[in-house]
Parts: sequence; C-alpha cells; structure tokens
Amino acid sequence: MSLILITVISICVSSGILLLLSREVFKMIMGLAVLGTAANLVVFTGGRPGSLVPAVIEQGSQTLMTNAASPLPQALVLTAIVIGFALLCFALILAAAVANQQDNSDVASYRENEPSGNAKAQSDKPSVMEIES
Amino acid sequence: MSNQQAIKGPGSSFNYIALSLIPFSLFVALIVGLVQFPLPWQWSQPWVSSLDIALAFRVDAFSMLMLMLITGIGTMVFIYGSGYLSHTPGKHRIFFVLIIFMMAMIGAVTADDVILFFVFWELTSITSFLLVGFNHASSDARDSARQALFVTMAGGIALLAGLLLLSDMAGTWSLSGIVAAAPTYMDDPRLSYAIILVLIGAFTKSAQFPFHFWLPNAMSAPTPVSAYLHSATMVKLGIYLMARLDPAFNELLLWELLLIGAGAITAVWAAVLALRERDLKRILARSTLSALGTLTLLIGLPSSSAGLAVIAFLFAHAVYKAPLFMVAGNIDHVTGTRQIDHLMGLRRVMPWTAAAAILAGLSMAGLPMAFGFVAKDIMAVAKEQSELVEIVGYGLLLVNAVAMAVAAVAAIRVFWGPLEKSFVGLREANWRMVIPPLMLAIIGVEFELFPDFIDPLLLSAAQSISPSSQLVEISTSYSFQNMFSATGISALIAIFLFLAWDRIHDRLASMRWLDNFGPEASYEVVLTTLKKTASIHTRFLQSGRLDKYLLLTISALIAMSFYVFWNAPIQMPAFNHWPMHSWAWLVAGGLMSIGAVVAVFLQNRLALLMAVGLIGYGSAILFLFAGAPDLAFTQFTVETVLVVIAATVIPFFKHAPYRETPWKQPLKLLLALLAGAGTFILLMNLQAIPENRDLASWFASNSLPQANGRNVVNVIIVDFRALDTLGEIAVVAFSLLAAKPLFTHISANRSEAASGSVLLEKLAVPLYWMMLTAALWILLRGHNEPGGGFIGGLVAVAASSQLAILYNSRFARKYQYLMPSKLAMLGIGMAMVAGMAGLITGEGFLRHVEIAGLSSVLLFDLGVFLTVWGSFTGYVYSLLERHELPLETSEQGGMS
Repeated sequence: MSLILITVISICVSSGILLLLSREVFKMIMGLAVLGTAANLVVFTGGRPGSLVPAVIEQGSQTLMTNAASPLPQALVLTAIVIGFALLCFALILAAAVANQQDNSDVASYRENEPSGNAKAQSDKPSVMEIES
Repeated sequence: MSNQQAIKGPGSSFNYIALSLIPFSLFVALIVGLVQFPLPWQWSQPWVSSLDIALAFRVDAFSMLMLMLITGIGTMVFIYGSGYLSHTPGKHRIFFVLIIFMMAMIGAVTADDVILFFVFWELTSITSFLLVGFNHASSDARDSARQALFVTMAGGIALLAGLLLLSDMAGTWSLSGIVAAAPTYMDDPRLSYAIILVLIGAFTKSAQFPFHFWLPNAMSAPTPVSAYLHSATMVKLGIYLMARLDPAFNELLLWELLLIGAGAITAVWAAVLALRERDLKRILARSTLSALGTLTLLIGLPSSSAGLAVIAFLFAHAVYKAPLFMVAGNIDHVTGTRQIDHLMGLRRVMPWTAAAAILAGLSMAGLPMAFGFVAKDIMAVAKEQSELVEIVGYGLLLVNAVAMAVAAVAAIRVFWGPLEKSFVGLREANWRMVIPPLMLAIIGVEFELFPDFIDPLLLSAAQSISPSSQLVEISTSYSFQNMFSATGISALIAIFLFLAWDRIHDRLASMRWLDNFGPEASYEVVLTTLKKTASIHTRFLQSGRLDKYLLLTISALIAMSFYVFWNAPIQMPAFNHWPMHSWAWLVAGGLMSIGAVVAVFLQNRLALLMAVGLIGYGSAILFLFAGAPDLAFTQFTVETVLVVIAATVIPFFKHAPYRETPWKQPLKLLLALLAGAGTFILLMNLQAIPENRDLASWFASNSLPQANGRNVVNVIIVDFRALDTLGEIAVVAFSLLAAKPLFTHISANRSEAASGSVLLEKLAVPLYWMMLTAALWILLRGHNEPGGGFIGGLVAVAASSQLAILYNSRFARKYQYLMPSKLAMLGIGMAMVAGMAGLITGEGFLRHVEIAGLSSVLLFDLGVFLTVWGSFTGYVYSLLERHELPLETSEQGGMS
C-alpha cells in the first residue's frame, strides 16, 4: 500500500516541479505549495505508514501499542505543514507585490536587480575583475 | 626631531629617517647577540598543539647572515627611502608595509616550523604585492603587482603542498628535522612530487625560469622597494629555502637537474635579455635575475665548497646590487629619466653617486679589490671541483661578462663622457640618498680588505647548509690562474659587450617575436582565457532571469541525484501488505493525482488554486487513514485557510496569466518527469531499508511516564522537542512581520462591497464564538487526544476569517481584542515563559513543570495557539483591508 503513496508523491513532485518552472508567477507559487505537500508526505513515508491506529496511548496502558503509527514523523510533519503554510503565505504576498510593482506576471521579466537583457551587450561591459582593477 | 612631531604621525613634519632606527637597533642587537651567545639560538612555543604545530624559531649561522642582510640593508633602505620618498604622497603606507615586510622576512629566515615558515613566506608575497602596486593610479603598476602576486601565490600553494608532503614523510614539522631525517625517506615514492612542489615555490619566489618574468615588471615599485625586496632580500628567500634543503637532497639527480637546469637557463637568458633593456633599473633587474640563476645553479652543484660559494655570492650580490639600485634611483630622481640613451657624464653633477656606483660596480664586475671578486674567486674554485658540464661553464662565462658589462654601464657609461646640455645645473641628490649606497658599496670593498670579521661568519653559514665546507683560499691567497680563468675571458667579452652595447641592443630589440614565446606570453594567455571563461560561464549561470536560475538549480539537483542512483544498487521493497483500508488510500491518492495532473494544464488562477487545494485535501485524507489524525486535522484547516488567503490574493494579480512559449515545454516536462522518477526510486529504496524505530519507540514508552501525555505526537511537539517548536512558531510569526511591508506594495483594489447573505451575517458572530470555543477545546484535549495548539490555532484562524469576510476586517479585529502581530508576539512570549518555569525549577529550559495539577506545557501550547492565530489572521486582515470583499472571495470563504 506504500506503493500508492509513493506513486502519488512522485506524481505530485512532477506536477510541482513543472508548476515551479512556469514563468507565470502564480503558477510558480502553487508549485511551491504542491512540492511542500509532497515533501511532507515523503517525511511521512519515513515512518512506514500502514497502521490505522493513531499514536495515542490508550487508557490504562503506559506505552504506545506496538501496532500504532509511528509518532515521530507525524510530529515532524505537523510543524512542517504549518511552517510551509507560513512560507506559502509570505510567497503569495511577495509575488503579488512584485507583480504589482513590475506590472507583469511573467517571472522572466522580474530583473530589477539583475543584469539587463541582452547577453551579448553584457559581455562588452567590464567584468567584476576589470572594474576592480 | 622631537617626540611631539612624531605623534603627529605621517604628516610632512615627521621625519621618516627616524624609522631606520628600527632595523638599525635590530642589527645592533644581532651583533651584540652574536658576540654574547653561541649559535644556534632556539625558541619554541606550542601553537596548534593538537596538530603539533609550534611557533618554533631557530637561528643558525646561515639565518644570522640573512638576518644581518635584512636588518643592515634595511637600515640603509629606510634612510634612503626617507630621502627618496620625501615628496611622495602616501609614503607612510610604503614605510608601514616595509616594516611589516621586514618582520616577515625576519620570521621567514628564523622559522623552524614549516607552517610558520610558510605563513611568513606568504606574508612577504603579500607585502611585495602592496609595494609593487603602490602607485595604484598607474595600470602598469597594478598589472605588475597582480602578476607578482599571482605567480608567487601560485608558487606558495605548491610550496605548502610540498612542505606538507615533506613533513609527512619526515614525521616532523621542523625544517631542520626534515633535513636531518632525509635519509629515512629517500625511497619514498612521494619524494619526487614533494621536491617538484617545493621547487615550484622556490622558483616563483626567486624568479627562476619559467617563473622569472614577474621580477623585471616588479620594477614599477618605488626604488627603495626594488633595492630592498627585489634585489637584496625577498627574492633571496627562495634561494634561502633551496640552500636550507640542499644538504638533504644534494645527492638526488632530480634535485641537481632541476636546480642546475633552471638556474643555468635563468642566468643565461636573463643575461641576454639584459642587453635588450634601455631602462637602467630594468637592466639591473635582469642582472639580478641572472645572479639568482647563478645562485640556484651553485646550490644544485654536488660540491662541498659550493656551499661557501653560495653564501659568499649571496652576501656579495646583496651588498653591491642594492647600492646600484639606489644609484639608478638617484639618477631618476635628479634627471627624471632612467633611459641610458640620454644619460652621460653625470659625474659632474652627481659626484657622490658616481663614487658609489663605481665602488659597487667594481664589486659587481668581480674585479680585484672588491668583495665581489672574492666571491667570484670562490665560485671559480667551486666550479672546478664539481667538474661542471662544459656548456654550463661557457654559459656562465657569458653571464659573468654581461654582469661586468652591466656594471660598466651603471658605473662608467652614465657617469663619464660629455654631460648632456639639459642636465647642466642639476644638483646632487639629497644626502640621505647618497650616504646609503656609498656606505653599502664601501662595505662591499671593505670586507675584501678586512675579511677577518666576515670570513668566520660566512664559513659557519656555509657549514650550516653544507656541513663539509672548508675555508677555501678565501681572500688574499687566490691563485692568479683561478682569477684569470674566472674573470679574464669574461672581462674580454665584457669589454666587447660594453663597447658594442648599443648595436647589440638594436639587434636584439628588433627580435620582438621572442616575446611571443616566453612564459610571460603564456601567463597573459592564461589570464585572458581565465577572464573570458569566467565571463562566459557567469553569463551562462547568471542570465539574470529568475526562471533560468530555477531551471539550472533543478537540473543540477536532478543530475546529482541520478548520479547517486547510478552508483548505488536500486532496491525494491516487497509489497505484500494490503490492509483493509487501502481503498481509502486509493481514493485519496486518486484525488491528489487528479489535482496534480489537472493543475498543470489550468490557466485560470482560481481553478488552479482549487486543483492545488484538492491535492492538500487528498493528503489530509491520506493522513486520516494512516493513523495520523493530528496531521489530517492540521492539513484540513491549513488548506481551508490557504484557500481563503490565496483567493484574497488572486484579484491583486491584475494581469492575465502568462502563457508559455510552447517550444520550451519539452525541457521542463522532461525535468519534471525525471524529478518524479527520482523521487519514486528514492522512496522505493527507502521502503526497502528496514525502519529504525529506536527513537519512535523511545517516545512511545516515555511519553506518559515522563511527560504525562497520551498523545505522543503532541508530547513530542510541546515537551520533548519544545525548543524546535519554539523556533517554528517564531518563524511563523516572523513571516507575517516580513510580509507586512509588502502589503503596502499591493495596490488597493477597492470595489463596491457586495452584499452577502443576510442569514450568514446574522449567524457570523455566534458561529465565531462556537468555532473559538471548539478551537480552545481542541487545544486543551491535545495533550491526551488528537488536537493541540497548532490545530486549535488554525481553527481559530478559520473562525476569525469567516467573521472578517462576512463583515470586514475591522469588525473581526474588534473580536480578537489584540492586533494580530501583537497576538503572535504574545504567543511567543507565553511559550518562552512556559519554558522559563523549567529553568527556575532546575529541570532545564522548556522542560515541563507541574504546578497545582496544571502543566507548564499547557501554557506553551497556548502560546503556539496564539502565535498561529495571530500570524495567519494578520495575513487575512491585511489582505482584506486592501480590497473590500470581492464576491468570489466571500463565497470561497463562506464555504470554509
């Protein structure tokens, strides 16, 4: 049954990467979200999921039942979900602000702090070394 | 000069001649020490004791000789510099670096630990770079400085590698120890590499072929620097090192071949090139190269008396070449040119400089009465004893002849003959510039007449590098035949060269094609290729397009992972475990897969958001059917709030979605598929490895007894790993703080408020309180049952969001009583306070403490709750404030 999980994760990774590579800024952010979900599931598979029993100690018992799900990846993933969400929110706001400011939703056009377009014209400009000397 | 003036620092009133007291007092101290204490002096202090590296110093007679040259010539150079540089702006920098250089040289010739030696060695390269590039406004000086630095630093790296190899073979860091232990590692196969590496270092430093070209270019340094670094001391450091190691490797053929070969080529080639130069200083530089070549050659000779020849010539060269440089500097200073075409008859205007030149020139030419002669004489003897290959002997004849001719040019040509008209009326250089060359030149001659003091020092110095050295007929009792064989023929050639100087020069100068084949040309090629390659690959990697960066990064990641897969066997787990609830997984997985595939094709942003939401909800269902209710609830609430926030953000993207150019898609598709395949292989391998449950079972069995919690996941978060959680909620809160300035960049989008459902508005406030109560209940039960601060906080966010959407953000804020960011900070503060409890009771920061039946982890979890609630409502409110409830948003929010 892990096979289902692994297949789904792989599909999500492919989809996430493809979205991430998109030049449309909103797609990119959504790619981040999909990749985040996939990454959480990857960590989760580390606990060899398969049990339906939650990692909760039953009344009258001192320790977790041996057939319960592994609690450690769950603890890791829980916080990862929330942090990933915070990152996603920030990225969304950032993307919206940049798209507004640059008046464009094409990622390739966001180059305020990058060397300007024409690569050929660039090579004529002095390199860092030449500027220093 | 008074002390008060000195305090003013490097102003015009500070007389730099006072600085010469530094080398002079060191020189005096050395003489006194030499008389008082027998050599060798040793001192050692642990430095990096774990590696056994020590601040170890050892001064034997050879080091002592070098020290006397460094401090003695240093004194003269400082006096000379105070005159020569008196009108140079920024001269304080020269003197400052010169003092550092002197200290580095002193360190280098006294260090016994190879690492310490290397540090000082490199320091001399750096100071040399700074001094050559002193006139940084001139591009020539900058290029020369860079060249000197690159060549000597590259050599320095080789030297370090070589020294490390030697130390490893000898089992000691001590230079003297390496020499002493030499017989034990003669058969080590690494020896050849070590020797070649060390020699690359020494050859670059002492400007031996093929690394010789930096030295003549380094003449763009001010003359005092050239006299000190590039003739008398620094360039001798490579010679020093080779002479130090010579007793160990003297018998090795490789050592002999490399030293004799490089030395002979350097000596002859530099001598020929000296004839090409018109600049007096460059002529001297070429002859310095030639002398360094001769020294290298002498060290390479397998002769016992060569040691003495090396020492004598090294000493003599320093004592005559430094004053000659000073003479060239004086001529430049007085006449404004160093081109020998214009310089004639200067003795009429510069009589004292002329005197110094003649004395030093005599010494250089090796004529009788001068110390130089003594050295030449010893060299002649050394050569005979070692049965040198004849061709090298003839080469050396030429070298000697050129040396004499150069001496004649420097001493006779420029000072004799008719004075050019434009030079009439010039005045002799300042006394500070005349005394030092004169004194040094006199010392050179003096020691010939009174060798009693220096002879024993030279001999013991020679014995420290060549233990079997004996005092050959050193001063007065040379044989006429030796003198003749060494100097006679050379003198004849020299006279010819001197007379035909201009014609030879013209002939050589026309052979410009020579320049294209020298090592300097290859240096230039390497440098330009380096720049071009750097430029091309920087352009490629740094295209300035964010999407390309991402493409490169992901390609690199994929390439690396597949490289790993390629080298590791791929394992496949056995899937024989198909429990009853597999159908739920299939459904959830199916939902996720549909979402993932559809998302790729969607252009509409809202639809895309829905598809991504589907993936999230699908994974929540997966969690639910995998024994992870906490994760399921968290994922459900997160997806809900995400849809609220993202749907609020979407209207701010005012432009139609960018559509890709179709031809670029295949590459991206390929990368995406590869990434998916890589993940698949990775996870398959992971499943094949048996799980290590040590940690999980520790938490499982300690959760209740130690932390009084039945929900192990929650216990890990708020108790065992509470410090991580504290960091994580801090990140959540900081993301809001980081986003705050960005909200103002989103242009407001105020459309008229759409009227929502009246029924929903009436229900909103009661619904809010119900949800908040539920959130608190989830928080409270979290320690023993699924739930906890994170889930509770997210439910509270949902509660506030629906209020904000149905009314407005101001209304919702009122019901929260505290600003979202303050709420988040309060949460972090609470978590910290909860942590303090454990600190006070001595359990440790963030360890749980029970007070009156209430655990401190409850306070901690409340902190988590408040941070999550505050942070994400902050996003929601700030976004909603930017526009008033677009219809689609309220519908999406209403559903949650």
